[in-house]
Amino acid sequence: MDTVLVKMEGIDKSFPGVRALINAQFELRAGEVHALVGENGAGKSTLMKILSGIYTKDAGHIYYLGEETEIDGPREAQHLGISMIHQELNLMPHLTLAQNVFIGREPRGALPFMLDERKINAQTEALFERMNLRLNPGTKASELTVAKQQMVEIAKALSFDSQVLIMDEPTAALTNAEIDELFRIIRDLRSKGVGIVYISHRLEELKQICDRITVMRDGQYVDTVDAASIPIDRIISMMVGRTIYESAPELPENRDTETVLEVRNLNRGKELIDVNFSLKKGEILGFAGLMGAGRTEVARAIFGADPVDSGEIYLYGKRVGIHHPRTAVQNGLGYLSEDRKRYGLATGLNVEINNALASMGQFLSSVGVVNDSKMEERAEQYVETLAIKTPSVNQLVKNLSGGNQQKVVIGKWLTADSDILIFDEPTRGIDVGAKSEIYHLLNELAGQGKSIIMISSELPEILRMSHRIIVMCEGRITGELDATEATQERIMTYATMRSVLTDQDDDNHSTDDAAPAAVTVSQK
Amino acid sequence: MASAATTAAPRQSILRSDAAQKLLAFGALILIFAFFSFASPVFFTWENIKGILLATAVNGILALGVTFIIITAGIDLSVGTVMTLCAVMTGVAITNLGLPIPVGILVSLLTGIAAGSVNGFFISRMGIPPFIATLGMMMMARGLALVISGVKPIYFNDAPGFRNLTMGTLVADIPNAVIILFVAAIIAAFILGKTVLGRYAVAMGSNEEATRLSGVNVANWKTAVYALGGFFSGLAGVVIASRLNSAQPALGMGYELDAIAAVVIGGTSLSGGQGTILGTVIGAFIISTLTNGLRILSVPQEWQMVVTGAIVILAVYLDIVRRRRQ
Amino acid sequence: MKKVSLLLALLLVLVVMAGCAAPAAAPAADSDSASTSEEAAPADDAAAESDAAAEDDGIYIPVISKGFQHQFWQAVESGAEQAAADYGVEITFEGPETEAMVDRQIEMLQAALAKNPDAICFAALDTQAAIPLLEEAQSRGIPIVGFDSGVDSDIPVATAATDNVAAAALAADKMAELIGDEGQVAVIVHDQTSRTGIDRRDGFLNQMEAAHPNIEIVNVDYGGGDQLKSTDLAKAVIQANPDLKGYFGANEGSIIGVLNAITELGKEGEIVAVGYDAGAQQLDAIRSGVESGAITQNPVGIGYKCVEAAVKAINGEEVEKVIDTGFFWYDADNIDDPEIAALLYE
Repeated sequence: MDTVLVKMEGIDKSFPGVRALINAQFELRAGEVHALVGENGAGKSTLMKILSGIYTKDAGHIYYLGEETEIDGPREAQHLGISMIHQELNLMPHLTLAQNVFIGREPRGALPFMLDERKINAQTEALFERMNLRLNPGTKASELTVAKQQMVEIAKALSFDSQVLIMDEPTAALTNAEIDELFRIIRDLRSKGVGIVYISHRLEELKQICDRITVMRDGQYVDTVDAASIPIDRIISMMVGRTIYESAPELPENRDTETVLEVRNLNRGKELIDVNFSLKKGEILGFAGLMGAGRTEVARAIFGADPVDSGEIYLYGKRVGIHHPRTAVQNGLGYLSEDRKRYGLATGLNVEINNALASMGQFLSSVGVVNDSKMEERAEQYVETLAIKTPSVNQLVKNLSGGNQQKVVIGKWLTADSDILIFDEPTRGIDVGAKSEIYHLLNELAGQGKSIIMISSELPEILRMSHRIIVMCEGRITGELDATEATQERIMTYATMRSVLTDQDDDNHSTDDAAPAAVTVSQK
Repeated sequence: MASAATTAAPRQSILRSDAAQKLLAFGALILIFAFFSFASPVFFTWENIKGILLATAVNGILALGVTFIIITAGIDLSVGTVMTLCAVMTGVAITNLGLPIPVGILVSLLTGIAAGSVNGFFISRMGIPPFIATLGMMMMARGLALVISGVKPIYFNDAPGFRNLTMGTLVADIPNAVIILFVAAIIAAFILGKTVLGRYAVAMGSNEEATRLSGVNVANWKTAVYALGGFFSGLAGVVIASRLNSAQPALGMGYELDAIAAVVIGGTSLSGGQGTILGTVIGAFIISTLTNGLRILSVPQEWQMVVTGAIVILAVYLDIVRRRRQ
Repeated sequence: MKKVSLLLALLLVLVVMAGCAAPAAAPAADSDSASTSEEAAPADDAAAESDAAAEDDGIYIPVISKGFQHQFWQAVESGAEQAAADYGVEITFEGPETEAMVDRQIEMLQAALAKNPDAICFAALDTQAAIPLLEEAQSRGIPIVGFDSGVDSDIPVATAATDNVAAAALAADKMAELIGDEGQVAVIVHDQTSRTGIDRRDGFLNQMEAAHPNIEIVNVDYGGGDQLKSTDLAKAVIQANPDLKGYFGANEGSIIGVLNAITELGKEGEIVAVGYDAGAQQLDAIRSGVESGAITQNPVGIGYKCVEAAVKAINGEEVEKVIDTGFFWYDADNIDDPEIAALLYE
């Protein structure tokens, strides 16, 4: 229990434009579950990716069983017995489960280059059995649910006889029953002396499973504490521990009563169930909920990016049919995707062109030639008003920081004369300092009479920024709160109102699960 | 458990569509055969079927190599001209240097492997996209073939056994070239299904980053896959040289597209991760059967190109439909 | 592995170098023995100082052909070089990789004009595309001599070419004679767009229609001059037409395909094969009787006559507008006659 497996000291790591880790440290003992917590961008994943050989550190020391080690790649980490289960799943969808588990170190057959498929399957089956997983090793990975795939990844990590197992947000996509199963496996591993690093945002969970908790903030080490004795709000204050939210501007007061957008009975399969809400002029409407609650789906449905089964959308009281993003843009809607790089920006193009992308028509002459100087003028205007930090409008967008990229997207929609802006996770992956600028900007826009829907997984952000908050869970709107009455606890209560709990087929688990599910507070 | 039900449902439908794709290619071949047999009495004769088999040999062998490469989500545009280069090298070895036939074959295979390895080196070590790297190799191999041959065909008149390599018969009345195609296909299927190389080809095409994170040396294995593609080009080089009893240095352009078409018709996904050797062989047969049948019916050749093109589009579209369903 | 692939790359480079050394000697050995020694030296000079050549007293004539990698063009080149040696002028010989590369050929013509030559020999892939450049040459007083398919305009002072229509008509007559003036005949052509392809196809078909009404043409196919593809095409056609009596291949690659098809199907002696041009394989087939005979052009003569005409034009001498370089029927009987043998390339 007291053997120190891993010790990391003075770790620095920079990415272009971001200092991800500054003098970070971490220690893992054999037979402990050690939680690593912090806000988004605190550096947890980066630190662990260094430990598992995916990134190389810029500076610092790593000791494995007391000896200083350089970990040059995933293979070296595996040799040392360090495995990481990534947040984004890393299975080969076209291979079977057994083939996935043994990829890179398949048992060989009669000849050294031949595979012994039977052995691969048999060993995987034994492995699954040990983990109490009822899966057929011959199933293709693409046929499994995300949760099952996660289990397979754990099985794969275990098959290395790992001494160190790093789990990055393992429960993010799991049901309560599946989480129980995962915890059972983790406890079993702990009793065998495996050291487990557990990265999670679900603080209540940590109290159940972890021995120690290390808190990180802004790429730096804050403290390591004993999990059993520390109250949750103490962890939160260590994680937040700065004044950034306090300095967030006051909400604009000029709340109009005019309803600009009304959504009625939006339905699509199991993703959207009877979604009803309205948005007023100059209002910031927060959308809260857990991952996969259906918030992005609502946004995309309103924007015409995905089809719906049924539902009506009213703009300024008039019913509109939006079946394509083009129609949405024409109607003054703007959507700022959570994945800026994939959906929001052409990162290989410059600021000027990105700025004009949603409204090219404005910049075309009657014969269809692009009016460059007009485009440049408009881009420069927004670079100034949005305070986009770029040497010129000719800078390629990929060379800007996350916060400035987000501003370019905002500029794009303002250029397109959007009056209703849907922000999907507007501050994800953005530096701490830039966040407050984005908040300022949102407020200003609302003050100018723009109406804003803000989808965010960061509760403090939602609480600070919203006039009203809509909470979703599993495709339904489960609650609506006014800014004055909203608290993190109330939001989380609504966010975990799973309809599953009322279904009979989950009865056998509900006795254990109901209690924790209701009080789980996902702090960010 | 609720999730048990949800996993069971997609599994069935996928299986159904997977099988559908394989049946589709095979069914299409049968259909084409049936159609031409009805349309012309000479089509379904042993002599003509032998002609179709023989006409499939070179393209089929090239397509085997391309299958592996496309499974890794890559592409190889150089197979045709590398084949020509290999044929020329065989000619140099057997005719110009007077070496024995087996040595000539070995030279061809080694030349193919070398060219494929260079492709792999460009792609996995220098980071050049496969399309560009193999386009470059296509031109280099063409140039080299012309330079080495002195822009003249090399004949194999001094090695009388060489032509029998493909045109002789060992089994019944089937030309050896066809036997070579089938044996090569069986070997390819074995490599794809039963060896580490095949496994990593699928893994890289399925999720290259995950494969890398699993500790697989992706660069080396990718190079090996392109080298394997080169090996099949070398084998095709021997077959074409033997059949024409000469190494024709100006040949080979356009062969890569026929090979890619065969692979795609056979259901291999250009986005990587899936594909079968059987499918590729069927794809190659569909192309040569169409060519043969439309010739027999004296359909203008321009239309034959249109038909083949339409079939390629259809095959890829079906692949997209299938993946969308997943 | 890294080292291994590096090694392989090196090996390939070595192969290139080894290859480069060989062909430098090969064409020299091929062309007339008398000209070899003189030809080697100026060729090197030309590469080193092609610009200077124009300013020197020597006459410089670029020869732009339709290709370089077919044996036929190699023969044209050797004829051109022979003439260059005989008249003491300097030439360069180049052509695009395939006959579809019209644009590539135009670039070559442009580059040749930039060197301010004394005359240009040109075999147009597409006359229309070359007209502006040819007009420029005319206005600068650079005489143009067409060869092979020639240049379809008034600009050239002379054209040295085979009359392909007449040559193919001769092939048709010979074919008719060999099969008894009746029955089915198939045709395989290298392509449906090039001048030679069109002329030979039409020359053959029109003559059949006009003079041999009892002969039925069952198929006209295009094999791209690719031996393998032509083989498989011809096989299908022979399968489909069991009564086929004759097969005409309109260039070397096409007739080789026909010969392969006949051999592979064991129909030697049953089908009369008539070809075009030469090449070792075709010559063997004619000697052994699998092929009845073929039309040969005079590629060496084409090359020689066009350079000769260019020199005459430069010197202000009178030149014939159309120089027929001739074509000949050859078969097993006359293949070894000295005047025929001189026209046949291996």
